[in-house]
Amino acid sequence: MTVTSKSGNVEASAPHWLEWATGIISMLLIIGMIGWIAGEAIFQQQTSPAFRSEVVATHEVDGGFRVEFEIFNDGTSTAAAVEVRGELAGPGQPTETAETTFDYVPARSSSKGGLIFTQNPSGGVIRIRAVGYTEP
Amino acid sequence: MQTRDDQDKTKFYKPDSRRFLVGLARGAAGSLIFGLPMLMTMELWFLGFYIERYRLLLLLLVNIPLLVVLAHRIGFEETFTWRQAFRDAVIAYGIAIAMSAAVLTLLGVVKAGMPPTDILGKIAVQAVPASIGALLGRSQLGGQNDEEAAEEDKKKNRDMTTSYGRELFMMGIGALFLSLNVAPTEEIILISFKMTPWHALVTVSLSILIMHAFVYAVSFRGAHQLSQGTPQWHAIVRFTLPGYVVAILISLYVLWTFGRLDDTAFTHILMSAIVLGFPGAIGAAAARLIL
Repeated sequence: MTVTSKSGNVEASAPHWLEWATGIISMLLIIGMIGWIAGEAIFQQQTSPAFRSEVVATHEVDGGFRVEFEIFNDGTSTAAAVEVRGELAGPGQPTETAETTFDYVPARSSSKGGLIFTQNPSGGVIRIRAVGYTEP
Repeated sequence: MQTRDDQDKTKFYKPDSRRFLVGLARGAAGSLIFGLPMLMTMELWFLGFYIERYRLLLLLLVNIPLLVVLAHRIGFEETFTWRQAFRDAVIAYGIAIAMSAAVLTLLGVVKAGMPPTDILGKIAVQAVPASIGALLGRSQLGGQNDEEAAEEDKKKNRDMTTSYGRELFMMGIGALFLSLNVAPTEEIILISFKMTPWHALVTVSLSILIMHAFVYAVSFRGAHQLSQGTPQWHAIVRFTLPGYVVAILISLYVLWTFGRLDDTAFTHILMSAIVLGFPGAIGAAAARLIL
């Protein structure tokens, strides 16, 4: 409890036990947070971004087929401006490519995106891979 | 016989409806002063169409009780009731929506041909910080005429007790306001990517230190003192640490609202919250001084 008076704000000298309880819980939370980050700081090895991708779904859209995919970064460094290229190779067809760029793929996280092909991917083989990135 | 409603009316409209208009103008000025930095931020315009609707709805709803409590706190009438606080909050929200719409139109961000959901989304996102600004405008820009100045003095001389929960609530409003200012920008996540965990650890300690110094050590107007014989660490445990936790929780909420935490690893969620918690903590400390 705080009392605001002419002489300024003075904290109550005999606080309710709830104030102490909140204070102690807060302290534990902050110590936990610091502990987690410190653990990362001490034990985590810096590894370069490592990408893998998975096709989530394919939909027919106007003028082609939309392939939704998710790209994972298994490294402990974040990658920025990640360029992703998809190649669709069907039987008896020329290989078709589609590209997109992700602003960020954070460390040990994933980002979702989509590529649009004119040919139906169901008959062919899709390869989606990251072809380049920058450090943030 | 007069009902409460009539009394309200005589107090606010009959003697001087000009005073009500002045209040409106102050609210508009406040929403401009506090809202312009956000109204001119590109990321917030984009949020208008890509923010998930249920998160936007939640933000708009959360804002209502927040405004009511804030209005109740800073209302300068001696007999300020919750009903009046509610009315003030609604008016502030209204002013904020009108001002946001006007400024976004002025800047050419909102145009006639745009889809209605986009326009509404853009205005709704902006209205939240602007409405806090509108309420603050009433209290911080007030006190121009003698009558009100006298009332202000009376309020200052009167002992006011703030419950512990209310104190934390005020810190939350301060943290929310500053967090909303910076959270939508790309810089927040970019900084969290650039920082190493060591940077984050220093940021946490510094945030807590600055927060404590703001309220207790630096002699601002409205600074808090400890009663004699209370050791310094009492205030750290009872006020500063819970305040920091509030700031971090608010950061997490704001980041989640803007979709910055989706598909992100726990460590990065924590790092972004720590980055945003830095301005949030300062906002929380400032709220304890101002409100």
